[in-house]
Amino acid sequence: MDWSLLLFRVALLLYTLAFVNTLIPMLSGRRRTVRLTPWLAAAGAGAHTGALVALGIALDRCPIGTLPEVLSVLAWTAILLYLVIVWRYRIEVLHAIILPLVLVVLFVSDLLPGQVVPVAAPLQPWLRPLHLFVIILGVAALFITFAASLLYVIVDRALKAKRPARFVLGLPSLDRCESVGRTSLFWAYLLLTLGIITGAIFSASLYGHFWAWKPQESLAILSWIILGVVVAARLGWGWRGRKVAILTIVGFAAVFLRMLGI
Amino acid sequence: MPIYTYGMSHTSAPLEVRERIAFPPDGLDLAVGRLVATGPVREGLILSTCNRTELVVHARSGAADSLKTFLLGERQTAAKELDRHCVLRTDGDAVRHLFRVASSLDSMILGEAQILGQVKEAYAAAVRGRGIGTILDALLQRSFAVAKKVRTETGVARYPVSIAHAAVSLARDIFGELRDRVVLIVGAGKMARLAARHLIASGVRTVVVVNRSHQRGADLAQELGGGTAPWERLFEEMGKADIVIASTAAPHAVIGHDEVLRVSRTRRGKPLFFIDIAVPRDVDPRVNAIENVYLYDVDDLQGVVRANQEERRHEAATAETIVLRETAAYLEWLRSLDVAPLITDLKAHFRNVGVQEMARFRSRLGPLTPEQEGRVEEMTEALVNKFLHHPIQALKRAAANGGGETLSFLREAFGLPESDRRDPADRGRQPRNDPDESPGSVERTAAEPGAGAAGTDPGAPDDPQ
Repeated sequence: MDWSLLLFRVALLLYTLAFVNTLIPMLSGRRRTVRLTPWLAAAGAGAHTGALVALGIALDRCPIGTLPEVLSVLAWTAILLYLVIVWRYRIEVLHAIILPLVLVVLFVSDLLPGQVVPVAAPLQPWLRPLHLFVIILGVAALFITFAASLLYVIVDRALKAKRPARFVLGLPSLDRCESVGRTSLFWAYLLLTLGIITGAIFSASLYGHFWAWKPQESLAILSWIILGVVVAARLGWGWRGRKVAILTIVGFAAVFLRMLGI
Repeated sequence: MPIYTYGMSHTSAPLEVRERIAFPPDGLDLAVGRLVATGPVREGLILSTCNRTELVVHARSGAADSLKTFLLGERQTAAKELDRHCVLRTDGDAVRHLFRVASSLDSMILGEAQILGQVKEAYAAAVRGRGIGTILDALLQRSFAVAKKVRTETGVARYPVSIAHAAVSLARDIFGELRDRVVLIVGAGKMARLAARHLIASGVRTVVVVNRSHQRGADLAQELGGGTAPWERLFEEMGKADIVIASTAAPHAVIGHDEVLRVSRTRRGKPLFFIDIAVPRDVDPRVNAIENVYLYDVDDLQGVVRANQEERRHEAATAETIVLRETAAYLEWLRSLDVAPLITDLKAHFRNVGVQEMARFRSRLGPLTPEQEGRVEEMTEALVNKFLHHPIQALKRAAANGGGETLSFLREAFGLPESDRRDPADRGRQPRNDPDESPGSVERTAAEPGAGAAGTDPGAPDDPQ
């Protein structure tokens, strides 16, 4: 019996249930059932943890060898981050954005072929896992940034349209969106920068050059530059508000595409 | 014995009638004392607020007339007026009505918080006036629990329904915590003062008043514990503020689009919230189109209030089902009380038969040791319990289903007298905890629960085992 596959399916089912559970009150206008969502997601994360551990034991290595594995670990990290934020900041609507993202990532990882990318024995065996680890953490943090920015735009629209829907949908205040977005962006950018540096070193140790202008590298550096502009605007010049939120969303889209199409 | 509510509310009587019929808070306990002194009334409570005056009583059937007589004697009113404006509710309707009132479902402003406190005060006065016994005590305690449940489980009280509250709630939508926000007040009107008060009550600590007349602005600033700035520095101050309350008496807009646009450029996207409560408006409506600037005028706020009222009405439907469920549970408890004295009487009756027969046969048994004598008594007791076990179970079931006829039939069958009298020692008891032992969800309104048997002691021995 393939425990990792079974647990993975259970996790997928629980995440899906959690997402469906967030849709019910949005469609019916009632709020009470949403409380179940973080618990369903937490249960899913539990099963997911089990699946990753089982996979690690079966393969006898850290389960970030192939793209599907990396995506799976990314989804798992994003869910954990989301749970921390729900419990810490009480932004419950976050799940309406994070859960579909995670589901997309997981379904994509399920579709992709699971061959191990043949890698010549690198000089430093710890470099690749380190590179992937910081990238994964950075992208997961960026998920949160994206969700907070999207919420900012939604709340802004509702306020401008004179239809504040905070009570009905349990939306956070603009200020809360802003501060969660800012903090998570800071960490995401720091980690992604580290990821690119380690990636370049890894590439150098493997192929003998830091940069090859491959499409994946170009997209990576492009999204890094877009995010860099956002970070400079937000953290450097203290910019905030709607335009910055939109720019953040664009930056995230670039990173997301880069990630799915590695 | 039924529960009645009798009286008038804002739905049935105009203010000029309500104000004459209302009981002053002083001496309410004495009025309750007079109420329970009227013939058929066993327990009573008077709920009197500016929106309603209602008597809640536990009384013998047909007590309606004496309630009317009581009001006629107490207040300056005519019988015709009472007939026109008062509503009488009985049993299930009465219980449900009280639960709705306590939960603020019957209030003029749906979901307002005051009424529960007023019901609690009425209850306290009724306790002092010795009007509260087991039945009403249980009823009132349960109504408090229902009100709490409605408040926490539905949104009936969640959405702000006054302009000032709506403004504060919007400020929270934008800024979250209001502690460190700066409020700029433009103009020194009455509405500005009200809105500022609400914001200060919600945590705002920094208030700056800008007014054309410096003296009036300074007065308001002093009243609110804030500072002032001259009119010329209006837009400079705006650059530092988070919330602007505008309420000047100017006949045209004093805060124009271009000025706000200039101000907003210096703010690096920091949100700015305009509350324009002046009529005619102080702020150019196009200001709302500027990025990160939010403008709400009186009509917008009114619109928010209307939407919130709609939400409250929507939530009230959920609240009504809670009330219905709790009404049914209370009525079930009430009916279970009817059966208690009958069970006591039945057991006493059978035990008496046993004791009498024992006395008759005792001589034929010859000399017995005290131990043997004890055994025989035990046997008599055991027989009575065994005989009555199934009938008592059936009785309880019948009571729960409102089988008043079964109860009176049994009394007749065993030759037990109707016991309509309640123990007067019950009156003025201390509040008890939730009386309901088995909250069922029987959705039926009350039959006359009386059927003659109306003992009120839920602690009566009713289990033969």
